[in-house]
Amino acid sequence: MAQPDPSSFLPLPQAQFHVLVALTEGERHGYAIMQAVEASSDGVVRMGPATLYGTLKRLVDQHLAEELARRPSADDDQRRRYYRLTGLGERVCAAEADRLAGLVLLARTNLRPGLA
Amino acid sequence: MADRHRLYRALVRLYPRQFRRDYGDDLVQHFGDLVTDRGARAAWARTGLDLTITIPRYHLERIMNDHRSTTTLNIVIVVLAVGGIASFFVDAGLSPLLLIAAGALAVTQRSALAQALRVPDTDRRHRRLRIGTVLVPVFPTLWSTFDLWVDDSWSIRETLVTIVGVLALVGAIGFLIAGLATPRTPDRGQLADAG
Repeated sequence: MAQPDPSSFLPLPQAQFHVLVALTEGERHGYAIMQAVEASSDGVVRMGPATLYGTLKRLVDQHLAEELARRPSADDDQRRRYYRLTGLGERVCAAEADRLAGLVLLARTNLRPGLA
Repeated sequence: MADRHRLYRALVRLYPRQFRRDYGDDLVQHFGDLVTDRGARAAWARTGLDLTITIPRYHLERIMNDHRSTTTLNIVIVVLAVGGIASFFVDAGLSPLLLIAAGALAVTQRSALAQALRVPDTDRRHRRLRIGTVLVPVFPTLWSTFDLWVDDSWSIRETLVTIVGVLALVGAIGFLIAGLATPRTPDRGQLADAG
């Protein structure tokens, strides 16, 4: 079956991009994703539980992330559900990062030409 | 601590059923982790705003995305419109607000409504037209029977009869329009020609 074009998912909503970026570091459960998002945004992005799980649901529905059938290791909390990026999710995340990088470059060029 | 979890679990019941089934336990566990890590005040500060925003949002998304909920959407629009009209007659002051809400919902969800109406279904077309036809005489019958709007004095009975009558009138118009807009199911010969 043909894979969807990653660019067809862009631009990603901010919450989805943050969660995908958190999952690029490996499998995580919901609470760990929330902590990673907070850490990566210096505490600026604070997701509530329903926002987080609603975002995860959308990512899973779009096949950008998937729930692990088994816990990553026996030490992990067996009550929690773990998520990881799919191949499509990785490509979409990379495409969104490239898009934002281009936008940042353009903004820097226009605002502070000497620093671009 | 358990009481706080119980309250949050009760609030989680306000989410759409499917979301609750899929993530209800995760939400409660997440909330428990927040309370443990950051204290009850910080946990409620974060989840309170989250609940306020996401409960109506997820319900609206469910209505928009679920074709089976188009009937629910229609009912909500009709109830809001009837409430607005009824409010006008009883001077409750909510009329503009309810009518604007009904109009806004109809306009913003028009694609979902139109999509539902465009599905060819002869049985549904007939059912909609039949319901509309049955509802048409309700309003004039109630009006003539109860002598509505002949004077300025309003009793509870007149108010209720008016609400029922207007509800029937709006429903009749809505069902007739929906019935006429619903295409008939193509027969096998037409499908073979199209193929």
